[in-house]
Amino acid sequence: MGGKSKATFKLSLVALLSLSFALSGCGGNNNTKGQAESTKAPETASSNTPGKVEPFTVSVFLGTAGQQPTPDNKIYKMIKEETGASFDMEFLAGDINQKLGVMIAGQDYPDLMTGNTKLTAAGAYIPLEDLIEEHAPNLKKHYADYWNMMKDPNDGHIYILPNYGVYNGKVNSSWYSGPAFWIQKAVLKEFNYPQVKTLDEYFDLIEKYKEKYPKIDGSPTIGFEILNYDWKNWGLFNAPQHLIGHPNDGGVVVKDGVAEVFADKDYAKRYYQKLNEMNAKGLIDKETFVQNYDQYMAKLSSGTVLGMFDQHWNFNAAEDSLTTQNKIERTYVGLPLVYDTSIKDHYRDLAVLNLNNGFGISVNAKDPVKIIKLLDTLMDEKWQKLFSWGVEGEDYIVENGRFMRTQEQRDNAADATWQLANKAKAIFEYLPKTEGSFSDGNSTDAAAQPEEYKAGLKPYDKEVLDAYGFDSYVDFFSDPPPNEVYYPAWSIDLIEGSDAKIASTKLSDLQTKFLPKAILADPADFDSVWTDYTEQIKKANVKAYEDKINEQIKWRIDNWSK
Amino acid sequence: MDETLEIDTVPRPPKKNRKKKQPITWRLIKSQNQLIWMSVPLMLYIILFAYVPVWGWTMAFQNYRPAKSFGEQEWVGLKQFRFLFTDDNFIRVLRNTVAMGLINLVLGFVTAIVLALLLNEIKKVFWKRTVQTISYLPHFLSWIIVTGIVATSLSINDGIVNIVLMKLHLIKEPILWLSEGKYFWGIVGASHVWKEVGWNTIIYLAAIASIDPALYEAAEIDGANRYKKMMYVTLPGIKATIVILMIMSIGHLLEAGFEVQYLLGNGLVVDWAETIDIFVLKYGLAQGNYSLATAGGIFKTVVSVTLLLMANGISKRLGEERLL
Repeated sequence: MGGKSKATFKLSLVALLSLSFALSGCGGNNNTKGQAESTKAPETASSNTPGKVEPFTVSVFLGTAGQQPTPDNKIYKMIKEETGASFDMEFLAGDINQKLGVMIAGQDYPDLMTGNTKLTAAGAYIPLEDLIEEHAPNLKKHYADYWNMMKDPNDGHIYILPNYGVYNGKVNSSWYSGPAFWIQKAVLKEFNYPQVKTLDEYFDLIEKYKEKYPKIDGSPTIGFEILNYDWKNWGLFNAPQHLIGHPNDGGVVVKDGVAEVFADKDYAKRYYQKLNEMNAKGLIDKETFVQNYDQYMAKLSSGTVLGMFDQHWNFNAAEDSLTTQNKIERTYVGLPLVYDTSIKDHYRDLAVLNLNNGFGISVNAKDPVKIIKLLDTLMDEKWQKLFSWGVEGEDYIVENGRFMRTQEQRDNAADATWQLANKAKAIFEYLPKTEGSFSDGNSTDAAAQPEEYKAGLKPYDKEVLDAYGFDSYVDFFSDPPPNEVYYPAWSIDLIEGSDAKIASTKLSDLQTKFLPKAILADPADFDSVWTDYTEQIKKANVKAYEDKINEQIKWRIDNWSK
Repeated sequence: MDETLEIDTVPRPPKKNRKKKQPITWRLIKSQNQLIWMSVPLMLYIILFAYVPVWGWTMAFQNYRPAKSFGEQEWVGLKQFRFLFTDDNFIRVLRNTVAMGLINLVLGFVTAIVLALLLNEIKKVFWKRTVQTISYLPHFLSWIIVTGIVATSLSINDGIVNIVLMKLHLIKEPILWLSEGKYFWGIVGASHVWKEVGWNTIIYLAAIASIDPALYEAAEIDGANRYKKMMYVTLPGIKATIVILMIMSIGHLLEAGFEVQYLLGNGLVVDWAETIDIFVLKYGLAQGNYSLATAGGIFKTVVSVTLLLMANGISKRLGEERLL
């Protein structure tokens, strides 16, 4: 018995010793760290000018895929030095819905999150109106005209600070980011820069070009591409509304304040029937409905695709790649096509406040006041210039008060690797921002600065624009009329889990299933597939979807009208 | 023989005539107290991770909204189940799940057993090892990579499948494999086999390794050739393993998968590609309707347990091995 208890004693002694070692090890570490900090602290305090800057970290969730900036990124470093804030950024990896589902289920939110209706519905954001009133004069001023619009239609609180759509001063625009029928510059040049206004003319050109050049750089020429992958489905769904001269309202067309789903209407049928004919002629990529986004981008980047319907920002990266490969003639011109010339195109719209984007502060944020103050500071013109143009002398030059770039600076700005070290692109994308012009009249967007845009044009682009007598590619589009009060219907929140949302999911399921079938069908069978499709839509309770949209349109007209 | 696989995983056949039940007495408990203490952590583990989460099933009968406490939730009875079962798509989705589940089950079994038998016949250890390693490596790839490989090799531009078939003059035009519903189940089945066959084989090889070599010698003396030995010694030798694994797999029949179908599926094949999991994702999770997702989960669990018990019962009737 004695032996046994001795053994136990020894064992516990060993355990105790090892534990105490482990603990003292930790303690020691802490001590040294503490010392290091305390010796360092006075230095930093003295090097910073007025008042002391307390370092703090803001955790951020960004709802899009992206790349971490380099650790010594120029702009983030400046933010840290002057405000004390550093950002711990998490980019989306994988599927947004899945990610949000996990975040919501675990109530696991970082301090700042990009706007999303799912998070709003889950009560993940805190109301911001009082915070802004009390602590954020810059933001208050910035959003003054848009205050009512920012309120959540369901409970009247402001949860999100929209990142785009608030304009100051003169708005210059040289880059069209929205939807259009795109065509390779080489096609236009080949046929001596014709005026292309209608869908028929457009496909005519593509057909003739493909006949003449069955191969581009050794690969078979692809006439027309339609992307329909996951949530990127507008390439297939949205064209008909534009062809009848309507702006982008998503899944509905709104006439005199009344919305209707257009997926099964005759003017939609006309478009898909045209695609069906084009498919029979072999103009549409065989793989178009099977491919994913990466495959689509790879095809565009190869320069073999003559045309597609898409939003410019969606394939911008492919154009960058073509530019890098020095294939300017393979980049695209956006055309505002309509069914016939009696219809006026309305592709281009005045930018709207994007309510489903930007930043919101989460319920888990420990110090919302600090965060709102930080956002308010960054709203300052000095920071806005740093974000959009960079550091004066390094990233741009000033000539007679106008901001310009040298060719080297221009090349840098377009270089993705350089951006990671020198731009705070990821965070700025979602921050509230000055759009239009700064108080000194310079454009907030370098690419939109007229003289900068002209100076940066490639000779090939100059030729194209001169042939049409335009200043920029935006001039292909008609000037936008003032937006309707409700516009755009696509930003209406259908409420998660509601009948309207289910109906809209059903509708898009049916479109995804039947439209490819109809387009790829033998032209003789097109009508029967179409009938089948419209029958199914009738069953899908689209009324609930239309009702919700109409209710919200009415709400917006009542609440947003000045 | 593969040394690394010499673990005896074959469950011993249970005794046919069970002993009379021993009454549980205080003395018995006391004499086995170490055993009981040893089982406590495992019991806690199971209670915590297998029984406590069942509480979440209450969500299926609510209109669950996150960030609200349990008392604030709205109870809706069987509404979620009604939505699930009355949807036009549900039958189709169920059919796809069961069909792909069965294909994976049968193909998975047959190929794994055949590969194990064939590997067992290879006498050169080097070759055996090489084949085994190559065949089980894909198991460690994630589905997103595998579907990427599948999509690329099935492409009409330079996909290897079309190139090979063209070179063999089996087809005249490249086939757009992923656009035809009739090919989809086959593609999913084949991808599963490619990914998992080597991994599934391991357990059969282990079972084969435990067969008494004397049986082979005896068979040889009786004049059995290779095929006869395979038929009358090896196969009966691993029968117990096969049956047990079969019963367990039947319980997973509705787990036909989600990733493959989601990543390879598109509008043209959706009628054949959508499984219960995808349906639940679209109308449940993606809509913030966690209740529907839970209802779908419950449905799958109930079906799985029923299937498992049925398979077990049938096996018992036939006098075969069983799991429970």
